[in-house]
Amino acid sequence: MNDGGGMILAFRLARRELRGGARGLRIAVLCLALGVGAIAGVGSATRSINAELAAEARTLLGGDVEIALRHRAIDDAQRGFLTSAGALSEATEMRAMAHSDGRHLLVELKAVDDLYPLHGTVRLEPEMALSQALGFENGTAGAVVESGVLVRLGLRLGDRMRVGEETFAVRAVLIHEPDRAAASFTLGPRVLIGQNSLGKTELVQPGSLVENRYRIRFAPGIDPASWIETLKAKFPDAGWRIRDLADAAPRIKDLVARLGLYLTLVGLASLLVGGVGVANAIKTYLDRRTETIATLRCLGASARLVFSTYLLQVLALASVGIAAGLAVGAALPLVLAPLIGEFLPVALRFGIHLQPLALAGSYGLLTAILFALWPLSRTRHVAPSLLFRALAAPAPSRRDAAAIAGIAALAVLLTILAIASTADRKLALWFVGGVVISFLAFRLAGFGLEHLARAAAHRFYVSNGHPTLRLALTNLSRPGAPTPSVVLSLGIGLTVLTTVVMIEANLARQVKNDMPAHAPAFFFIDIQPSQVEAFETAVRSVPGVLGIDRVPHLRGRISKIAGIPADQAAIAPEAQWVTRSDRGVTYAARPPAGAKIVAGEWWPEDYQGPPLLSFDADAAKGMGVGVGDMLTINVLGREIDARIANLRRIEWSTLGVNFTIILSPGVLESAPQTHIASVTTTREAEDAVEAVIADRFSNISAVRVKAAIETVASILDHIATALRLATAVTLSVGLLVLAAATAAGQEKRIYDSVILKVLGAQRIDVLKTYAFEFAVIGLATAMLACLLGTGAAFILITEAMHTEWTFEPGAALAPLGIGLLVTLTFGFVGCWRALTQPAARLLRAP
Amino acid sequence: MNDTSDATIKDGPMVELGGVHLTLSSAAGPVNILRGVDLVIRRRERFGIVGPSGSGKSTLLMVAAGLERPNAGSVHIDGADLGTLDEDRLARFRRDRVGIVFQSFHLMATMTAVENVAIPLELAGRNDAFARAGEMLGAVGLAERALHYPGQLSGGEQQRVALARAFIAAPRLLLADEPTGNLDQTTGALVIDLMFALQAKYGSTLILISHDPDLVQHCDRIAHIRDGRIERIEDGQRSDA
Repeated sequence: MNDGGGMILAFRLARRELRGGARGLRIAVLCLALGVGAIAGVGSATRSINAELAAEARTLLGGDVEIALRHRAIDDAQRGFLTSAGALSEATEMRAMAHSDGRHLLVELKAVDDLYPLHGTVRLEPEMALSQALGFENGTAGAVVESGVLVRLGLRLGDRMRVGEETFAVRAVLIHEPDRAAASFTLGPRVLIGQNSLGKTELVQPGSLVENRYRIRFAPGIDPASWIETLKAKFPDAGWRIRDLADAAPRIKDLVARLGLYLTLVGLASLLVGGVGVANAIKTYLDRRTETIATLRCLGASARLVFSTYLLQVLALASVGIAAGLAVGAALPLVLAPLIGEFLPVALRFGIHLQPLALAGSYGLLTAILFALWPLSRTRHVAPSLLFRALAAPAPSRRDAAAIAGIAALAVLLTILAIASTADRKLALWFVGGVVISFLAFRLAGFGLEHLARAAAHRFYVSNGHPTLRLALTNLSRPGAPTPSVVLSLGIGLTVLTTVVMIEANLARQVKNDMPAHAPAFFFIDIQPSQVEAFETAVRSVPGVLGIDRVPHLRGRISKIAGIPADQAAIAPEAQWVTRSDRGVTYAARPPAGAKIVAGEWWPEDYQGPPLLSFDADAAKGMGVGVGDMLTINVLGREIDARIANLRRIEWSTLGVNFTIILSPGVLESAPQTHIASVTTTREAEDAVEAVIADRFSNISAVRVKAAIETVASILDHIATALRLATAVTLSVGLLVLAAATAAGQEKRIYDSVILKVLGAQRIDVLKTYAFEFAVIGLATAMLACLLGTGAAFILITEAMHTEWTFEPGAALAPLGIGLLVTLTFGFVGCWRALTQPAARLLRAP
Repeated sequence: MNDTSDATIKDGPMVELGGVHLTLSSAAGPVNILRGVDLVIRRRERFGIVGPSGSGKSTLLMVAAGLERPNAGSVHIDGADLGTLDEDRLARFRRDRVGIVFQSFHLMATMTAVENVAIPLELAGRNDAFARAGEMLGAVGLAERALHYPGQLSGGEQQRVALARAFIAAPRLLLADEPTGNLDQTTGALVIDLMFALQAKYGSTLILISHDPDLVQHCDRIAHIRDGRIERIEDGQRSDA
């Protein structure tokens, strides 16, 4: 049996159908374009950044390989091995105070040698060679500073400033530092000096917080990977951190990856909300073509041919939406470049990245078909007899097993794609679970609302009162009412909004608002043991100082966990930060003030036995150790085996001096060390305390707690802005779907309002009807969104971010307000149009 | 070879309904539309059906087209037992053997006249669909209007396009439901003359529903239907028989 050439005929029929335009499907196209655009844009931007980071890896790393050591320099044997590989450049980084005319500023100091930079160029203003800028002139060493130093110390080029015990002439402003991305979190502007003048500052003391970086430009013929292996084998206990080109900018790469992941998931949520719009639009489109479908069936077209014909139309229009989205997404890095340029160590350039575009396109296509399949499957059940009988008996609502199987298969495919294309599988699974729960919850809520409205309307009928309210309730529950799709589309958008706002509020609170009433004003670092007494005396001499908390400070790395080398031990992801690099280590006879010991006991004050250790309870849990287990700590190359005596629950948010690792007395006293102190003062005393220490102790650096918190808050603020923008896309798609759904019922609304007016209803009555109808939808939807969004935020904060959760009522109320505002606005706009329709014309119409 | 022709009995009646009952559900409850219809229509016969609104005329037509399945009774068309055919085989049966003309024309608004006419042959996979459609449009006097869309045609012209579409596959059975119902008298007469001429030319059996007694008088026989039953069948005054 011939079915007319199958797909070719379906294609021909689809093409003819589309000639009539796709007015009803424009919303579907727009929804897809926005969702795909968001995902493609985030993917393209992420890929562009990564491509630039990879292209500039050598410059960002400062060499072909970097070896970093904290506190100490390499020894002669190590230096000999490193120089045999090629050109070796050495840089020393630390935090220090710069002084000028009674002004003091915490700066990020970097001392570089003549070979710096091995790759890339340092740009200065005025233009000059770095060696010239840092060299000695009339016996004075030169320094290059970021413009912030000039502003805050009130300097001009040529002026002098003191760093430690050395005075420097500021010769140029640092415009571009090629290896800047390699720097850690910064608390002050950069100051570059020559390696040969670092010694004169006398800042490098035993135990000082100094990072020595050794960069190598390999001689020809050296294979980096095998050289690194040889290096590790030759100096297994060096305790250094080795980074190669693949690891050139790990922090920015991690941040981009994580932010990209969250933004992609928000984009995917937009796409799924858009899917609701696709389903609604296709249903409306097909409803208008019932007669055409019935005619085709009468003329002998098979159900499959009709289905294929409309599937092809949907695919054609979906392609338009997806193509538009991909074009927008591909161009997004271009738009973003000027906005995010200042946060990146590399310039963002335009480039077509096929993989993220293919992924976004696949998401778009799968979503379009997934949501189109159910309305499309109804074409199989259009009765040709409709053509003979205007009011044929309604087609029985058949369960279409093929459609259900198809939808299930597509949903599984979409889930697999979401999980497979995401680096964080667990998060992707949470997302999929959240989406499924949200869709089900809002679908049920929509139907539940209809049901309740129907029951309530019936009561009003019985009591024969409140006609406007009764009409509103009837509107909510009449056949074909848009209630379920409005609830679903608005609800998902508001859920994402609640999630983002709630997370943002939690993080902001932790950074800003959680500052305890008596948070310290300063952390002073690099206090030499010989300076301790004088330091405390100096601080206490300032009126307004409320307290000093000072402890010895060393850096140490956990090298073994219960005898197993740390790099081979199984450690939960949330605890891996403890072993990733050096941690602050201290020792104490008494537990820190306010310490919460949750397991074991603190050692006696006069304890002199084998080394004991007090450990962070959360870290212990993640590492699978407890009281009685042995940890090996490498402090300055010395391995110390210590038994865990107790576990402490550390409240990092108190901003007190806290240490993951505290050793018992008698172990570290003789090791080179510095002291660290937190000082609590009145607000008025802050400047005086900083001045008195800066004037007397040139090597001690003062970190202002508020400035540090503001830096963190500003970073969070930028991340929040990106998330808010992505959420705006989700909400916009939701509004589009909402607009289309309310517009679909507008004809009925206009007719109702005309009849009401004819029957004597005043405008205010009609207005009340619509206000009530939309307020009920908005409120119910927003409340459910609030619940689901709060749940999602709770899971993300406790499970993915591992931070403390607090319910923020303000964050929950915002989406509630937006939900009501949006639905009432749509309701009033619709109502206004309905009220302005001339009744006579409508009533005369056939 | 198509899969509905096996059962064809070339010399038997074209339509054979036996004890056909049809009940449809409605919001107000089930409605008995056909209550035991027995009917035999010969090949090439022009058979008229008249009756008041709601008497079951259109439903009878739908049953004959395989568009509605009776709750009881048998339907044999051109020798094929429609009760044994599934939805898609019924669709192919209509494509190959049945032509339908509606009161409201039911042309595809997005297709030109020639495309509308070609559909049945396209559905049958015929390569000459458009050539034949052009000829059919010529036969109904609309060759010049081949590329016009339905919205650009008058009601009479639209019904002539619908006639061309109904006859393009040379159907053995033509079902016409009030074909002149939406046309003025003059245009209606023109259309009906054309329909009879095409029916004679292709040797089709015609079942014609109309409210117009003058129109059905041109049939061989006329059935009067009321409340879902055939009250009586009388002879008509077919002039060209």
